[in-house]
Amino acid sequence: MPRSIWNGTITFGLMRVPIKVHSATEDKGVHFHEVHAKDGARVNHRRMCSKEGKEVPYKEVARGYEVRSGEYVLLSKEEIDAAAGRQSREIELEEFVAAGEIDPIFYDRGYWLGAGDDGADAYRLLHDALARADRVGLGRWVFHNREYLAAVGAHDDVLTLQTMRFADELVGAGDLELPSPSRKPDPREVKMAGTLVDSLSDTFDPGRFHDSYRERVLTLIEAKARGEEPELPDEPEAAGEMDLAAALEASLKGR
Amino acid sequence: MPRSLWTGSLSFGLVNVPVSVEAAVRDRDLHFRQIHEKDGAPIETQRWCSEEDVEVPYDEITHGYELDDGSQVVISDLELQAIEPRRTRTIDIEQFVELDDVDPMYFDHPYWLVPASDDDGAVRAYRLLTEVMGQTDRAALGRFVMRAKEYLAIIREREGALALSTMRFADEVRDPKDVEAATQKAHKPAKKELDAAVAVIEALTREWEPDKHKDRYRSRLRKVVDRKRKGETITAPDADKAPEAAPDLMAALEQTLEELQSARA
Repeated sequence: MPRSIWNGTITFGLMRVPIKVHSATEDKGVHFHEVHAKDGARVNHRRMCSKEGKEVPYKEVARGYEVRSGEYVLLSKEEIDAAAGRQSREIELEEFVAAGEIDPIFYDRGYWLGAGDDGADAYRLLHDALARADRVGLGRWVFHNREYLAAVGAHDDVLTLQTMRFADELVGAGDLELPSPSRKPDPREVKMAGTLVDSLSDTFDPGRFHDSYRERVLTLIEAKARGEEPELPDEPEAAGEMDLAAALEASLKGR
Repeated sequence: MPRSLWTGSLSFGLVNVPVSVEAAVRDRDLHFRQIHEKDGAPIETQRWCSEEDVEVPYDEITHGYELDDGSQVVISDLELQAIEPRRTRTIDIEQFVELDDVDPMYFDHPYWLVPASDDDGAVRAYRLLTEVMGQTDRAALGRFVMRAKEYLAIIREREGALALSTMRFADEVRDPKDVEAATQKAHKPAKKELDAAVAVIEALTREWEPDKHKDRYRSRLRKVVDRKRKGETITAPDADKAPEAAPDLMAALEQTLEELQSARA
């Protein structure tokens, strides 16, 4: 496990739980840098002043918020950071909610929490109490000059922290244009679909799924490193109109 | 009405439902543009060749991947396109799982799936799948390719529609076994402590009301912009004082419970 990215204290009531925050996820995508095709040299990004046509050193860069077309309110990095609020080393759990009530759509980034210095007993107590009560605690976490809503919960043996999306950032189903069918699915269709779902059901095993695209990109890189030439793609097939009941029936026959 | 990010078909067995992928999250952040402080002119990013000291037009840019030995492999757009999977317009449902079995840690970015055809059979198939998954608390796992990247996706019923979330692959979720979780017997709480901690948690338990929680960072940032516009000076608030040492666990629990009870009385 890489080093912690934040150390602080979770509080609830008068309880204090020293913790360390570790990222629970990592991006394994293959990243390229930009290269000038002609000579294979790296491409650098330069900040150029649109008025002077000259490169601008980083310390002369301000952040502009456009209030009217072409009119900017200028803020320094420090002024933007002021919006983070108090630089707190505490996450106060202000309330608890039933763990199952929060839809995963609210969860943004996930972290594992480790016990902080001299905090092993308090860590275990918070973990076991959350697990037994089946609750998650909600609080605010100031990280990298930004305040997040965070949910702290028990996950197997460890405590987790999830930063959360705010309700007004989510598009509800009511905002979608969902066409209605001329008639509801009939009982035979519901029964067949249920049977089909059952026959395709299995336990969730995340290890079964590999990022085959990432694997292909890495294979391509290896082939190119050996000086080989890659193949060309085929055209995708198009889908036609369908007879729902017939398709369900045919799907079930194949099993 | 949000625009579609992807259109194609959702297929399970031999049933194909034309669907489009739409955003489930709207960006409400304040965005800033880089400005040259001296003259107030916007800053433009230019790409320059590190060897020739000339600006590089976009069509002369390709992708470089650095190998472990420091040498570089150059990959073109065409070569990347060549390895895009063939069935780029289908989400193939490979299996259904119990929704509760999927750790939210695997959920990445949320989207909506909506029917992309007025064909009655297709719309009914969408309804049918939504109903059956909702009734059985099942979710579907499948793969699809969006913006030249293959995703693992989980599809489930939410608010009477199909919600899709891209998922992290197993090796992108770190194993928490190395996290210091104080699992040694010596740290196991006494029954009295655990009971008291559960009592505190229950006393502080509320209904989950998502609308109640506001993005205070966003509103403060908006205020900072407004104040700056009026010519005010902005200073950061002081840092919190260093946290106090943790008191005796049981004493803290008892005092918390007392305070919660007297607040309620």
